[in-house]
Amino acid sequence: MDSLFDKYTSSSHEEEAQLQDADQELSVNPPLSLKFALPPVAQSSSWLRAMTDDHSNPSCPIKIAHGTTTLAFRFKGGIIVATDSRATAGNWIASQTVKKVIEINNCLLGTMAGGAADCQYWLAYLGMQCRLHELRHKRRISVAAASKILSNLVYSYKGMGLSMGTMCAGVTPQEGPALYYIDSDGTRLAGNLFCVGSGQTFAYGVLDAEYSYDLSDDAALELGRRSILAATHRDAYSGGYINLYHVKEDGWVKHGFSDTNPIFWKTKLEKGEFSNVTANFEDDDTSQRV
Amino acid sequence: MASVFSGAPPAGGPGYSFKSTPTPSQASGIREHSFYPYADNGGSTLGISGADFTILAGDTRSTSGYSINTRYEPKLFKIGGEGPDHVGATLVLSVVGFAADGHALKERLDTIVKMYKYQHGKPMSVAACAQRLSHMLYGKRFFPYYVHAILGGLDEEGKGALYSYDPVGSYEREQCRAAGAAASLIMPFLDNQVNFKNQYMPGSGEGHALQQRVPEPLPRADVEALVKDAFDGAVERHIEVGDGLQTMIITKEGIEERYAPLKKD
Amino acid sequence: MGGFDFSNHNRNAALHAQGVPLPKATSTGTTIVGCIYDGGVVIAADTRATSGPIVADKNCEKLHFISPQIWCAGAGTAADTEFTTALISSNLELHSLSTGRRPRVVTVMTMLKQHLYRYQGHIGAYLVVAGCDPTGAHLFTVHAHGSTDKLPYVTMGSGSLAAMSVFETQWQRGLDREGAVKLCADAIQAGIWNDLGSGSNVDVCVITQEKTTLMRNYITPNERSKKLRNYRFQRGTTAVLNEKVMTKEDITKYVTVHELEDDKETAVAEKMDVDR
Repeated sequence: MDSLFDKYTSSSHEEEAQLQDADQELSVNPPLSLKFALPPVAQSSSWLRAMTDDHSNPSCPIKIAHGTTTLAFRFKGGIIVATDSRATAGNWIASQTVKKVIEINNCLLGTMAGGAADCQYWLAYLGMQCRLHELRHKRRISVAAASKILSNLVYSYKGMGLSMGTMCAGVTPQEGPALYYIDSDGTRLAGNLFCVGSGQTFAYGVLDAEYSYDLSDDAALELGRRSILAATHRDAYSGGYINLYHVKEDGWVKHGFSDTNPIFWKTKLEKGEFSNVTANFEDDDTSQRV
Repeated sequence: MASVFSGAPPAGGPGYSFKSTPTPSQASGIREHSFYPYADNGGSTLGISGADFTILAGDTRSTSGYSINTRYEPKLFKIGGEGPDHVGATLVLSVVGFAADGHALKERLDTIVKMYKYQHGKPMSVAACAQRLSHMLYGKRFFPYYVHAILGGLDEEGKGALYSYDPVGSYEREQCRAAGAAASLIMPFLDNQVNFKNQYMPGSGEGHALQQRVPEPLPRADVEALVKDAFDGAVERHIEVGDGLQTMIITKEGIEERYAPLKKD
Repeated sequence: MGGFDFSNHNRNAALHAQGVPLPKATSTGTTIVGCIYDGGVVIAADTRATSGPIVADKNCEKLHFISPQIWCAGAGTAADTEFTTALISSNLELHSLSTGRRPRVVTVMTMLKQHLYRYQGHIGAYLVVAGCDPTGAHLFTVHAHGSTDKLPYVTMGSGSLAAMSVFETQWQRGLDREGAVKLCADAIQAGIWNDLGSGSNVDVCVITQEKTTLMRNYITPNERSKKLRNYRFQRGTTAVLNEKVMTKEDITKYVTVHELEDDKETAVAEKMDVDR
């Protein structure tokens, strides 16, 4: 067990990374390695930025897929987690079907904003660490501890160019429903309500206005959905499908992966919202209203 | 916290807001100009998965700038199987972007898949291979492979499986995906023809009640025709695409490889 | 007065300094060639126009009229070749009217180089000038910065090296008309196949003392292949949120409406190429 423990806890990307470590790569159980290949330059992080950061360099050669609007909030019935599903690389919509809620285990959820690969990889890694914690301590990890593993991890890579803004939502017997925000700067916050991503402001707008801790389950789910809808409507970098989860006492429940377009029109036509959007022709009062 | 995810846009992506458009090349600090280990070898690839098959295709032109390096350099590689000819392989990897990185990646994945069989006594599943490939790409998170990879195979139920990757390993299982130089030309075509995006069923309702056309797995002959048409279209309008079309069709019988000529101008 | 409007210059320079890229001009990343033979001169061009890696026009015309016996092949920025040749063509007509003589090729070459030199390369026109005048058949190249060459065979554009390799191996003194046309067409094809900036068809123009023959699409080796599937959508496939019908009476409020004599024939100059 100790050797296993050592293997998985030996931190250190600082060690000289050996890319073609054949022994490691071909061994029966390749460890989920923390050794990353580095470019042979003095300032690897600024080199990486020059190659991949399309925000500061629109013509960078490698466009990394970025995630976009995510939200989670605590209420009396548990936690609602909702996301959009669009991934963009520069101005290109790389995908409309990204799963931005990552199921770490049957009680813990993580969300994905920022670099898609960073979130996918490190949340999978977190899942592994959580499982190891269970095996070592014979009980499930607390959300506080899980989120701290992640925040310590990303903090050790600070300045290297990781980009992630994630929320960990889960329920444990000792904590009850717990929600944490972690980002690649090393920030870790416990809270009742978070929105993360380029569409965060639009989601906050709806969420803050309608939020109450005493919401019913259905009303809370609807609020999560409506907040993401608002963000997909106003933020060009958010869109696709609405991914909804409800974290309850006995684990999370998925509430669909649904196309925004029909939901938008349903919301507009049945509730009279989004009245700024019309399908009428200008100066034409006679045509039917939509 | 506010600082965090301004990472992307409203603050000022390219062509979005002029105010905060960040510093161009004359930025502060030391800049390395000499180390540029990448080249763009052009070309395009695409993959479509069906009910019991997966098709991958790629053009065979390799370019640098306005020059053609060669008219036949495959972008599709069989992964696993026996020996250098990959006898009995069931996985196909396509890579587009920087060919040298693509080759390195394919060699590494091939070795891993072969070793897996020796060590476990069974071939690697697509799902396992897909995750391993993601980890290989992420292993070079700070010195990325300049590639867009697509991995095809059949899943444990015998259904077509297709996984697509970004350069640092974020991946997703999809019905169809185009990558490379002409991805922006091919992908909208695939969205419309494979997933029936923006297609409604005529007469299914008035106004907003109109029903969207529901995508269903396409038959193999239709998909093969779609692939050819997609590339014929891309060749017409993208200068880096042409010369030849390499196609691999993965079924339970094995991998069928084909080559068809494309326009050479 | 004509000339250029520089009123957006400061704004654009400021934007550029902030990292906003310039909009892409359509460039004719091109192969153009010319060749003198006994009794005349031949120029030829491919027909691809590109915007970055995208083919903007598959069958554009790169052979420009200057005067009946003087033609120009243009490479570089499409708009610059178009307008520069048109401007020089107009001035040349005025010049020949005031002198009462047939225009000379050297005159065209001189006018072009003086015009282009004045703009220090900002007008991105790279031209092959060819023609026949009372002093014989002539062939020149003019670069965007204003330098010129006079040679028996010339190539320009991104495919110039591919094309020149053909001339350097196959050109010989005393070519006849057929030989010169074939040589030029082969040189263009070298560009079409080997240079990504060039493609589609070959246009050729043969100029003799007697007449000028423009052979548009002299060779078409890149016919579009037929689609395997049918991409016509069933009527009603597109969602319609609202519709408005405008009658002829409505339109008459804004524009003058003329009835066409034959309602089957619409006034179409060149039929668009569409899938059926």
